[in-house]
Amino acid sequence: MASVTVRQLTKVFDPDQRAAVRDLSLAVADGEFLVLLGPSGCGKTTVLRCIAGLEDPTSGDVVIGERVVTRVPPAERDVAMVFQNHALYPHLTVRDNLGFALKMRRLPRADIGRRVDQVAKRLRIADLLDRRPAELSGGERQRVALGRAIAREPRAFLFDEPLAHLDAHLRVELRAELLGLHRSLKSTMIYVTHDQVEAMTMGQRIAVLHEGRLRQVGTPAEVYDRPADVFVARLLGAPGMNVLTGMAIESGGGKGDGGRVVECGSLRIPLPSGDYFGEIQLGLRPEHVGLCGVGQGVGDAAILIVEPLGSETLVHLDAEGQRLIARLPGLVELAVGELVGVKFERRRLHMFDAAGGRLPVSRAP
Amino acid sequence: MTRPAPARVAAVAGALLSVAAVLAAAWRAGERYATAYALRSAATISHYLAVVTPPARDRASGYDLAPLLVQARGLATLPGLGVQVEVYHGTAPLVRATGPSLSPDAFDEIRGRDSAEWVHGQGVAPLWDKNERDVVGAVAARPKRIASPLLSLWLLVGLLVALAAAWGAGSAVGRPSRAPLLRYLAASLMLGVGAYLGVRGAARQSTDRWLSDARLLVQDVAARAPRGRVPLADLARVGRGATLAVAPPATLTPRREASERGRDAVVAVRLSAGRWLELRTTPEDARTDGWLVLLVTLALLGPGATAVVQWGAGAVARPRELRTTAAAWGFLAPAAAHVALFAVGPLLFAAYVAVHRSTPGEPGARFVGLENFADLVRDPVVWTALRNTALFALSVPIGMALALTAALILQGSGRGVRLARAVLLLPVASSAVAVGLLWRWVYHADFGVLNGLLLRAGMPAIDWLRDPTTALIAVTFVAVWAQLGYQTAVFVAGLQAIPTAYLDAARADGAGAWRRFWHITLPLLRPVTLFVLVTGLIGAFQVFTLVYTLTGGEPGHATDVIALRIYHTAWESLRFGPAGALGLVLFAILLGVTWMQFRVLRRSRGHV
Repeated sequence: MASVTVRQLTKVFDPDQRAAVRDLSLAVADGEFLVLLGPSGCGKTTVLRCIAGLEDPTSGDVVIGERVVTRVPPAERDVAMVFQNHALYPHLTVRDNLGFALKMRRLPRADIGRRVDQVAKRLRIADLLDRRPAELSGGERQRVALGRAIAREPRAFLFDEPLAHLDAHLRVELRAELLGLHRSLKSTMIYVTHDQVEAMTMGQRIAVLHEGRLRQVGTPAEVYDRPADVFVARLLGAPGMNVLTGMAIESGGGKGDGGRVVECGSLRIPLPSGDYFGEIQLGLRPEHVGLCGVGQGVGDAAILIVEPLGSETLVHLDAEGQRLIARLPGLVELAVGELVGVKFERRRLHMFDAAGGRLPVSRAP
Repeated sequence: MTRPAPARVAAVAGALLSVAAVLAAAWRAGERYATAYALRSAATISHYLAVVTPPARDRASGYDLAPLLVQARGLATLPGLGVQVEVYHGTAPLVRATGPSLSPDAFDEIRGRDSAEWVHGQGVAPLWDKNERDVVGAVAARPKRIASPLLSLWLLVGLLVALAAAWGAGSAVGRPSRAPLLRYLAASLMLGVGAYLGVRGAARQSTDRWLSDARLLVQDVAARAPRGRVPLADLARVGRGATLAVAPPATLTPRREASERGRDAVVAVRLSAGRWLELRTTPEDARTDGWLVLLVTLALLGPGATAVVQWGAGAVARPRELRTTAAAWGFLAPAAAHVALFAVGPLLFAAYVAVHRSTPGEPGARFVGLENFADLVRDPVVWTALRNTALFALSVPIGMALALTAALILQGSGRGVRLARAVLLLPVASSAVAVGLLWRWVYHADFGVLNGLLLRAGMPAIDWLRDPTTALIAVTFVAVWAQLGYQTAVFVAGLQAIPTAYLDAARADGAGAWRRFWHITLPLLRPVTLFVLVTGLIGAFQVFTLVYTLTGGEPGHATDVIALRIYHTAWESLRFGPAGALGLVLFAILLGVTWMQFRVLRRSRGHV
């Protein structure tokens, strides 16, 4: 077990192109489960490969435990990596796949056999040991890939979207299994995914990456409730946060609006803080949007789409050019094209500046 | 499912047609051999008459009517003769003077052609004068008993069995069982073979009867000669078409005897007490293979038709399957025709050549079984060529090791690397003849580049291609050089097809460069390696051009290889049989190599 620290990591593949990772610093504590979340192409896999030693950073350092391993070959880093496509050696049986890394470390044959059997039992793949990867189902392959990492008893685990190619219910099952594994192994795990559900459900902390830069690191609750910028706000949640843009202007006197309102299409949203003028972005989680009678809310919007999901209903609204989604509990009878009032609690409002950075609700007096 | 009556009718009709075709072919064969017998006997009798009839007294050529009449009538009463004879003086019949005369047209035709012809159901041979200068009449012969193959026991049994089986298979159309059709197939095979045995019997009889007739006439000529004098020239003339030889006493019935040319038909001729000759000729039944093929093919048409009807009856119920099956055959047809014409056909021909032997200048070939193969086993040069070919084939694994090394170095996509790969491919793009000539120059004892370097380094020159110890090595080296680029290109493609994820995983698992190569790259490259190995071995075992242009198999067979041996045996020694046999041996070797590849490839798996 060891902590993993990345210091000012930059990786440039092609000098003509944007850097895949820029000046990224991240500390993963010993035994922590950290999720690297970001859309495809954001550089999260590159970070992982730099930690594993499969890529050499252009600049910056990788520290595992107490040791700077930036120039150390992968074999000496003692971290295990689970790949997106499993990368099980097709010519080897499950048993040999599980024992491969141990064989590379020249462990005695008996030890290898013992450890492989243990791991197989733990992952319930003992009856698959003599098969080849081609004869396994997707879930079985993923278990074997997991087992290959576990058998090594590494100082840290690196997961590169290991569940991306599995179908939905298998993903849920394996997610739980992975978490159970983390609890019992108590080892450092860095988990790359583009799936915010995985990030929210699995990560002790989530690090959000965008265009090679680290946007926010925090617990799932922090990242969800206090997104550092518009990108993070939109990335988390399904659907993500509604972001409205508008101009903050003098309200001309209203009750408790701090003297400012933002005009977004047909909506006139009172600002909780009076410190801001000009262009501003407002964030509002769909579950915090409520519907009411015409003229009774902050403005009226037309219903574009109604998506009944059973436990909840998603209502897509158009407020004269500003699109937003409301998540209403249960099944709601609404007609497309109908005009409804929009309401919400003011404390649920997130404010971002024009560039997308988070604004504090009230500045220090 | 109800059985469709029209289908059953069609099946039975097809079967009857097939049987009828077999019978017609057998009948035709019988006619042919009867004709052949009649023609030969007519010619022999004509020569007999020319020998025994005294020449005309008042004319320069021809015979007087009276002695010819005597001889002709005597001939008709000669006991044991297998044909009914008519002799024409000019066009006038002599034996049965009231019979029809020979038509002037037929006479002119026979005169013009100088050979026996089939005219109005009998063999008619020209009757020559003593000196064989002029045709003065004709001899007509008609076989007394017609020995038709249709009456052979084999054919009758085959016929009954086939008809019964055809009926059974026809009634079974529409039922899923395949057994009746298979029974019918076996029965038809029996019919075909039975008919062939009948035809063969007729062919044998044709030769034997003629031999008997010839023996009678030769004995008669001998008996007329003054005591103690054997008129050899006369005997030879009568026995024309067979070889005469002095022989020990034997039975008077014709027999078969093995000889250097195969099996001969032989009959013993008793000239007088203690003086025996034998007449020896190539039997007709030695050349009946074609009939076997024809008769069996015709017999199999019946089961074929039944199978088609059976399939069709099923397909009517499943029109979609019919369409897709027809379409599939349609798509396959061009490729199948190509394979049949250029692969299966030549192979069958080679197999035919391999079990026959032909003599230069003589038409036809006779069956010799495995004798050609026995010749190969006894020929030390063949063994040398086999050994040399095997040693030459070592160029493939040696080249592969080099090519894999080159591929590992050249697998990138940089400009220099691609250029190097292209340069390596150049020998592959040039013709083997050019490569051979180029290296002949490199290896040349006096002007060669190689010896130039050796001399400069202070070492003695070597006559690479003429020294038996270095010649094969030199040739093998050229092969390694010539195929290196191709093998490298295939290996580069194979390396690039290996997903990098496996190598990444192995690196993460702590494998160094060498162990990644040994444990990951090499195993994943196995299908490619096998492909290169097998195609390379096939090419190496067939090598011809390179050896032919470099050394021609010299010095003293030191670089002789199988393909070269086949060529020399066929086109320089003109021994096509052994050449065909050696070709089959080569085919068997390559089949073994390919089979090995299929076995090993079946066990390998794709990437996951």
